[in-house]
Amino acid sequence: MEKELVEYVAKSLVDNPEAVEVHVIEGEKSTILELRVAADDIGKVIGKQGRIAKAIRTVLNAASTKSGKRVVLEILD
Amino acid sequence: MYKDFEGKTKKEALDLASEELGIATDNLDVEVLESSKGIFKRGLVKVRVYFDNAVATVDKLDTADKFEDELIGFLKNLAEKMGYNADAYISAREDGKINIGIDTEYSNILIGKNGKNLDAIQLLVNVFSSKLGRKDLKVIVDIEHYRKRREEKIVDVAIKAAKSVRKTRGTRLLEYMNPFERRIVHTTLNNEKDIETVSEGEGVYKQVRVLYKG
Repeated sequence: MEKELVEYVAKSLVDNPEAVEVHVIEGEKSTILELRVAADDIGKVIGKQGRIAKAIRTVLNAASTKSGKRVVLEILD
Repeated sequence: MYKDFEGKTKKEALDLASEELGIATDNLDVEVLESSKGIFKRGLVKVRVYFDNAVATVDKLDTADKFEDELIGFLKNLAEKMGYNADAYISAREDGKINIGIDTEYSNILIGKNGKNLDAIQLLVNVFSSKLGRKDLKVIVDIEHYRKRREEKIVDVAIKAAKSVRKTRGTRLLEYMNPFERRIVHTTLNNEKDIETVSEGEGVYKQVRVLYKG
């Protein structure tokens, strides 16, 4: 499921995996995933010019083509 | 060794063979077996393609250390969490580079349009690898020779675009490409003195314009 995917990727990339939290908001046509990481780790999930965040979103979209539901990833600080 | 392929046209059969064997259509050693074309219906074309074993199969090397185990584990987990089971293995080690191959029945979706998904997966693996302390190393992820096929296709597109603008004396804008792919276009046409290539756009994915300058 998408939540586990984001959790797994985020935990693999940050220094404080225990601080990774993903909150799911289910909508009718789309699902919103809110990702929270430790303040020091924000850069690790966003990357230069958002490159990492973009890659996570791309991978997430590829995963969700199966269910056909739109998934939006928000990174909260 | 050889393998037979079928298609509605010769081109279709060759494309199929190229895809499966990871060899560009131009480099295939082909013998047409059957070509039954009726007046009212188009028959099937059957071709036999000869190839070296070495070209068609990929090396699968054992992981050599804990670091490689972790990379392979990360890729397998990533694919599984995406919902597409896949096998991953080291296919080559070079100076400063490590090649990882992915075997999966979901190759289309893991590659994505113009390799978009494959690029994203590769980026994440590289970030993961730097986190493990290997910033010196570039990890290249490939599925069914996609990168090689894509490279050959881009060289082809570049040469065709150059021919076309030479004829029309105009310009031609190519599709969106990543930096590596754009470099292929630039280097392919570098020696054509009457042709110029310029990248246009913002971000990682830009378009290359091919111009005739006479």
